[in-house]
Amino acid sequence: MKKYLALTIAGMTRTLQFRLGILVTVLGNLIYMTLVYYLWKAIYASSPSQIVNGMTFTDTIIYLVLATALFNFLDMYIVWELSRNIQSGAICLDLLKPVNYRVYMFFSFFGDNVMSFFLTFLPTFVVVYFVADGKIDLGLNLIMFAISVAFALLLNFSVEMLVATICLYTESTWGINIVKESIVLLFSGATIPLVFFPEGLRTVIGYLPFRCIYDTPLNILLEKPGYTLDSGIWSMIALQAVWCIILSLAGRAFWNFSVRRITVNGG
Amino acid sequence: MNKEIIKNKKRGLGFYFRIYCKIIAQDLKSKMSYRADFIISTFGMLLTNIVGFMSFYILFKNFPSINGWNYHEMLFLYGFSLIALTPLQCLFDNNWNLRMQVESGDFIKYCFRPINIFFYFISEVFDVKGLGQLVFGTGVLVYAWTCLGIPVNIRIIIQLILLLITASLFMIAIMNVAAATCFWIVRSGYVMIVMFRFKDYARYPVSIFDGIFKIIFTFVIPIAFIAYYPGIVILRPNEIPLLSKLSPLFGILFFWLSYRFWMLGAEKYDGTGS
Repeated sequence: MKKYLALTIAGMTRTLQFRLGILVTVLGNLIYMTLVYYLWKAIYASSPSQIVNGMTFTDTIIYLVLATALFNFLDMYIVWELSRNIQSGAICLDLLKPVNYRVYMFFSFFGDNVMSFFLTFLPTFVVVYFVADGKIDLGLNLIMFAISVAFALLLNFSVEMLVATICLYTESTWGINIVKESIVLLFSGATIPLVFFPEGLRTVIGYLPFRCIYDTPLNILLEKPGYTLDSGIWSMIALQAVWCIILSLAGRAFWNFSVRRITVNGG
Repeated sequence: MNKEIIKNKKRGLGFYFRIYCKIIAQDLKSKMSYRADFIISTFGMLLTNIVGFMSFYILFKNFPSINGWNYHEMLFLYGFSLIALTPLQCLFDNNWNLRMQVESGDFIKYCFRPINIFFYFISEVFDVKGLGQLVFGTGVLVYAWTCLGIPVNIRIIIQLILLLITASLFMIAIMNVAAATCFWIVRSGYVMIVMFRFKDYARYPVSIFDGIFKIIFTFVIPIAFIAYYPGIVILRPNEIPLLSKLSPLFGILFFWLSYRFWMLGAEKYDGTGS
């Protein structure tokens, strides 16, 4: 346990090394969120009705801003890191370490997640909480949200790791990564809330794991119907857990199979 | 020897064009050897465009118009922005490698060549997959154009091409500045990532912003010039704002400023010592 804590703390201090980077990222995100805000304000202003698909303007903006914050919080650059390590040969040293490589990867990025939770997600949440003025309950839903986010973090890691493993074969980082990014962002509800999607597409998305990353935690936080303690919350969290188990088992098997055929040039 | 130096001083566009073709040919040859990478990247590019279009489509399924702009007009701006962003993708892609080269010290090699550093660095990479975006954007633009019933004649086509070329300069300028920050800041990759995300909002009319943000998105992060100001010239020829007429001028100005900023960094660069 101690070694994982050490890795996490190392990740945190590494992030703190680049304070200017944090500042620019926070500032950039603020400007980005105002873009999102103005766009949806204009969209709702042109709409004949106040409520579209059961979402008011405030609902939508809370959802999207928190989705962006959650995206920044959960984001891990594993695909890039891994392919750089393969190219430079640094992966050999990591593989020799007396820890499971996947666990090692997780904890060396976990520190980043912890930092971005405090630096981007928490401030955004506080601002949204006060701006939304009573729209967000501070009760049991927060605890459930925390549980759900924990699963989302693991899920996101599993997806990243699976995709990174594909890169061992293709030597194409950019292409694989962009495919992953565009699919995850659309199908998880991070760009447009999933309730806006046409019926058919929503059924397809229901069978995919991506919505468990952003849509499920956010709906739990906002206490949407079907995501409350009275109805449905446990089945949603169970679904997240099942996807977590499936993807991490698949990812582990795929990785263990693939790692044998890594070829490192030099290093 | 003397003659050689005199010859070197006279470098017109022809000289640079010949060099450019030679460098690009080398890049394409080296890319050919990674065929799988090329196929996957092209597929990835296509998929991002399809996904981008899907989110656009889903949005308009729910809302018939945005700020007085109907579906086909917005589609026009969407196609326009995709085409205007293609030169950035195809010709200026090497900016993404600048940070790594500066950090590792490899960048020093550009400083020793007797040609313009910026030109040499940028010309080293031609991103073929960006052409997929051009095809996709052109398809969208032509479709919107036909649906809107905009007349087709030589004058309007020339106008369109000129507008597209000048519109492309804005995002190039933004990314030049974002990339050049690495000469001063360690690990500045995030500046580029943050800035690159703004391009997705270039396709929406700037009239949705008000106050300070309208000024920011027009003059500081000039995404309003990528599709809205040039697009309005063709979409609504009766109500062209002054900024649309000035947009070619601004494009050249922004590009020149970003070039100067980039060169400022490159000229002060003195390697890593290894």
